[in-house]
Amino acid sequence: MKISKEKFGQAFDALVAEYQIIAPVSDANGIAFKGVKSFSEVKQDYLNSKLPPKAFFFPQHEKLMSYKKEGKEVTVKSELKVENTVLFGIRPCDAKGMQLLDMVFKNDQYTDPYYFERRDKSVIIGVACNKIAPTCFCSSFGLSPAGSEGSDIFLIDLGDSYDVEVITEKGKALAARFEALSELSADEQALVDKIKDAVTLSKVDVSTTTSKLDKMFNNPYWDTLQEKCIGCNVCSFSCPTCHCFDISEEVRKNEGTRVRTWDACMAPLFTLHGSGHNPRDNKKARWRQRMMHKFNYFVHNNGSMSCVGCGRCIKGCPVNMDIRQVIDGANKAELVVE
Amino acid sequence: MQLNPYIPITMKLVKNLVETEDKLINTFTLEFLNQQDEENFKYMPGQFAELSAYGHGEAPFGIATSPTEPGILKFSVAKVGCVSNALHLMEEGTMVGVRGPMGNYYPLEKFKGKNVVIIGGGFAFTTLRSLAKYMLDDKHRGDYGDITVIYGARNPGLLLYKEELAEWENNPNINLITTIDRPAEGWTKHVGFIPSITEQIAPSSVDTYAVVCGPPAMIKFTLPVLEKLNFTPESIYTSLEMRMKCGLGICGRCNIGTEYVCKDGPVFSMAQLKELPNEY
Amino acid sequence: MSKIINDIRETARQLLAEGKVDVVIGYEKGSLPLKATPCFVHSSEGVDSLIWDETCENNLATYAAKTPGKKAIVAKGCDSRALAVLLQENQLVRDDLYIIGVSCHGVIDQRRIGAEVGEILEASISDGKISVKGMEGDKEYLFTEVKDATCRTCRYPNPVMEDLHIGDTIEVAQGAAAFADVEALENKSDNERQEYFKEQMSKCIRCYACRNACPLCYCQECFVDCNSPRWLTGGVNRAENLLFQAGRVMHLAGRCVDCGACSRACPQGVDIRALNRKMTKDVYVMYNHESGISEEGKPALNEYSANDPEQFLVKE
Ligand SMILES: Cc1cc2nc3c(=O)[nH]c(=O)nc-3n(C[C@H](O)[C@H](O)[C@H](O)COP(=O)(O)OP(=O)(O)OC[C@H]3O[C@@H](n4cnc5c(N)ncnc54)[C@H](O)[C@@H]3O)c2cc1C
Ligand code: SF4
Ligand code: SF4
Ligand code: SF4
Ligand code: SF4
Ligand code: SF4
Ligand code: FES
Repeated sequence: MKISKEKFGQAFDALVAEYQIIAPVSDANGIAFKGVKSFSEVKQDYLNSKLPPKAFFFPQHEKLMSYKKEGKEVTVKSELKVENTVLFGIRPCDAKGMQLLDMVFKNDQYTDPYYFERRDKSVIIGVACNKIAPTCFCSSFGLSPAGSEGSDIFLIDLGDSYDVEVITEKGKALAARFEALSELSADEQALVDKIKDAVTLSKVDVSTTTSKLDKMFNNPYWDTLQEKCIGCNVCSFSCPTCHCFDISEEVRKNEGTRVRTWDACMAPLFTLHGSGHNPRDNKKARWRQRMMHKFNYFVHNNGSMSCVGCGRCIKGCPVNMDIRQVIDGANKAELVVE
Repeated sequence: MQLNPYIPITMKLVKNLVETEDKLINTFTLEFLNQQDEENFKYMPGQFAELSAYGHGEAPFGIATSPTEPGILKFSVAKVGCVSNALHLMEEGTMVGVRGPMGNYYPLEKFKGKNVVIIGGGFAFTTLRSLAKYMLDDKHRGDYGDITVIYGARNPGLLLYKEELAEWENNPNINLITTIDRPAEGWTKHVGFIPSITEQIAPSSVDTYAVVCGPPAMIKFTLPVLEKLNFTPESIYTSLEMRMKCGLGICGRCNIGTEYVCKDGPVFSMAQLKELPNEY
Repeated sequence: MSKIINDIRETARQLLAEGKVDVVIGYEKGSLPLKATPCFVHSSEGVDSLIWDETCENNLATYAAKTPGKKAIVAKGCDSRALAVLLQENQLVRDDLYIIGVSCHGVIDQRRIGAEVGEILEASISDGKISVKGMEGDKEYLFTEVKDATCRTCRYPNPVMEDLHIGDTIEVAQGAAAFADVEALENKSDNERQEYFKEQMSKCIRCYACRNACPLCYCQECFVDCNSPRWLTGGVNRAENLLFQAGRVMHLAGRCVDCGACSRACPQGVDIRALNRKMTKDVYVMYNHESGISEEGKPALNEYSANDPEQFLVKE
C-alpha cells in the first residue's frame, strides 16, 4: 500500500501536536536527527546521519538523579519526563541497532528504566535506503538496505509517495493516522521490488568470524592490528550499537546531579582499577575487546553480532581503521596454539 | 531490588572506624533508615554494593556484614581515590547512598555438608568475614563441616576485624590461622606468606571447598598449593574485582570475556575462570 | 611509482634489513578514496606498501613516543617540528629515532571535497589535479583549491630535522609569519566571535580524537580525565566543550606546531585550529617564538628571558 507524500506530510504535521518528532535534517555538519515541527523540514534525500540516532534513547549525557545535601542529611530526587516520540527516517541498520541495544539495556537481571521509558514511548518509522554508500555493509549481517526489522512502520520512498508497511502493533496504531492508502501501480511495485532486492556493494564474510574468534584471544593478530589506532572515542560514539557509559557527578555547592555519559572501551581509563591495576592497559587489549565484544562475546550472550554495518566508524576514524578489514583479517589470521 | 536500580537508598553512617594501623582502611557501619529498605536489601555473603559519597560519586565495595547481622551493613574501604577518600573523611551521622545488593554470592548451597577453607590476604577479607560469620551463625553452623580460616596481612596492624579474630581464636566452631609476612614484636602466631602457610597447614581437600581472596600475587601462588593438595578447580572459589560503574551489566566495563563481573560475578570458581580469557 | 615512494621504500628496506630500526612508521594506501593510513612496517618484506602523496595527512610524530624500540618515521615538515618539540621536552631519545624527511606540498582537505561531491566513490591524483567521482556528482579540482587550510599557511614544508632527506626541497619565501586568518577573527565584533565559537563548540562530541591525534598531547593523565579534582564534567555542551578546547589550547601554548592534525581528525568538523592559531600568533608576537623549528631550544613558556613581555603583570 502507498500514501502520497502530500497526504503523508499532512498526517506527519498533525502528529506534531501529540508527539515530539525526530527526523533527518541537513545542518552545517551534514545530516543529523533533530526535532522537527513540520514535514517540510525533513531532508528526504539523504544517506544516513553522521551520528547514530541511539542518542534519543541513550543520550550522550543524561541525568540519572539529583540530590541536595543539608548538613548530614541528603535528599535524592529522580524524575524522568519523557514525551511520546516518533523517530522518522531511521535507516534499517539503525533500527536493527536499536533492537541490539534493547538486549543490553534489559538483561537477565535488570531493566534500565531510563532507556526503556524512552524506548517504550517511541515509534520508529523506518525508511529504506534508495542510495547505498560505499561504506555501507549491512548486507554482511543478513540485513538489507530495505530491511524492516526494528521499525514499527516501514516506508520505501517512491518519489511522490511512500510504500507503507506496518510492522508492529505500535506501528499499526500510528499508521491508522495515514488515511488514503492506495494500491501500488505495477511500475511502483516493480520499483519496490527493486529496492527490496538491493544489497550493499561492500560485504564482508562474517560466517566464520565468531567461531574463529573463539580461538583467537592470544593470537598475534592483535599485536600489529591496532598499532595505528589513537584510542579516541570516534568509533564507539558513532556506533549505533555501542552502549558503554560512565557514571559521574556534577556538583555545585551542596547540590549535585549524577549523570551518565557515553564512554568507550578504547579509552585506557575505562578499566583502570582504583588500585592502579588495569586489565586492559594497552591498545592491543582494547582493540581485541572491541572486536571480541562485537563479534564474539555479544554473539554468545545475545545470539547476534553487535555490528549492523552502518560504516560510520569507517568514515569517522581519523586513522582509517576499517572494521571490514579487521574482520577480514581475523577471518584469515593463522591460528596459533592457545 | 528497587524499581530503579540506579537510585541508591539512603543509609546513615553510624560508625567510621579506623581499621588498620596505617589508617588507610576504615570500616563503615551503616544503618538502615527503615524496615522497608532493609527488607528490600536481601543479600548473601559475597555480594557487594555501590556506595555513594554524595558530591564525589559512587564506588563498589564488598559487603562485610553477614545477613545474620540485622539492621546494619558494614564496609571496609581502602583509601585510594575520589570516593574512598570522601568516605574516610565522613563524619558519623552523615547520610550515604547504597545501591545493591549486587552480584552473585558464595555458593553456600554447595557448601552444605562440606568443610570450607577460607583463605584471605590483605583487605580482601571483607566478604570472607561475611561468609565466615554467616556459617558460624547458630542457625547455619550445623549445615557445614569444619570451617578453617587462613588469614594473613603484611603486619599485625594491617589485619582487619582484630576483635572478632580474637573471639574466633577461642571459638571451637572455627579453626583460625593468622599470619604476617615478617616477624613482629609481640606476634606469637604464624609468620610467612599465605601460600607457604597454606602448604604448612595442608587442609584436606576431601569433601572440602576452598574460597580464596586477596591480591593477585597471593592468589597466583596459592592456587598451585591448593592444586597440590588435590583441590579441583570446581572446588575453589574466588571473588574478583574490576572497575565498575553501573553494577548492572549494562555500562560495559567490567567484562572478562562474555561475563560481566558485576552481574555474573564477582564470585567465580576456578573452573569457570579457566574458561574465560586471562584479562583481569 | 614516484621516485620519492621508491626512495622511501628502499630506505625502509635497508634500515630494517640492517637492523638499524625495529619499525618504520610511514603511510600506506587507505581503504577509502583519498585516504592514506598510518602504517607500521616491521620487516623488509612489508616495505612495498609504503606510499607518499597528498593524502598522507596524519602527523606520525604522534606515534613516536608510544612506539617502543628504535623507529624510523616518515616526516613532513610539521611532523618533524612535532618531533623536535618532543625531543625538547625529553619525550624521545634522539638515538632511537631515524627521521626520513620528505618535503611536503600540503595535504588534501577531504572534507571540502566531500561537501561538494558527497560520498567519494573513486578518486585519482595526477599532476596537481584531483579527479573525484562522488555520489552527488563528479568533479575535478586543482590541488591548490583543496589544499588543507593548515598547509596554506605552512612556513616549514621542509623537515627541520632529519637523518635523510628524500626528494627535492621546497623553496620558501623568507619573511615574517602572516596571520591573516587570525586577524580576520580578531577583527570581528565580540558578539560575532562569540557566535562563531558557540556554533563550533556545539558540534563537538568530546570524542577526544583531536587530543589523541595531537603529537604534543601526551600527558599520562589529561586534565579532562582527572577525577580529583574534576576540572571538567562529562557534559557535552557548548560551555564544557569550550572549556575543554580552551584548556587544551593553553596546554599547547608555545608548543603547538600548527600541523592541523587535530582539525583533520575531528569527525565533527570543529574549527579547533581557530583557537590554536590565535595562540600561535600571540606566542609569535609576544615571544618571537615558533615552536619546534629546531632540535635545540625549549618551548616558549618553558624558558625565561629578560626580554619576555610582562603584559600580564600589574604595573603601578
Ligand atoms: C566487587 C568489588 C568489591 C570491592 N570491594 C572492596 C572492598 O571491600 N574494599 C575496598 O576498599 N575496595 C573494594 N573494591 C575496590 C573499590 O571499588 C575501588 O577501590 C574503588 O572503586 C575506588 O574508588 P575511588 O573513587 O575511591 O577511586 P578512584 O578515584 O576512582 O580511583 C583511584 C585511582 O584510580 C585512578 N583513576 C581512576 N579513575 C580515574 C579518573 N577518571 N581520573 C584519574 N584517575 C583515575 C587514579 O590513579 C586513582 O588514584 C571492590 C571492587 C569491586 C569491583
Ligand atoms: S576511531 Fe579509529 S583511532 Fe579512534 S579509537 Fe576507533 S579505531 Fe582507534
Ligand atoms: S561497528 Fe562500525 S559499522 Fe558496525 S555498527 Fe558500529 S559503527 Fe556501524
Ligand atoms: S565494549 Fe567497546 S565495542 Fe563494546 S559496546 Fe562498549 S565501547 Fe562498544
Ligand atoms: S590537553 Fe593538556 S592535559 Fe590534555 S593531554 Fe593535552 S596537554 Fe595534556
Ligand atoms: S575531535 Fe572534534 S568532536 Fe572530537 S573532541 Fe575534538 S573537537 Fe570535539
Ligand atoms: S559495572 Fe557496568 S557492566 Fe559491570
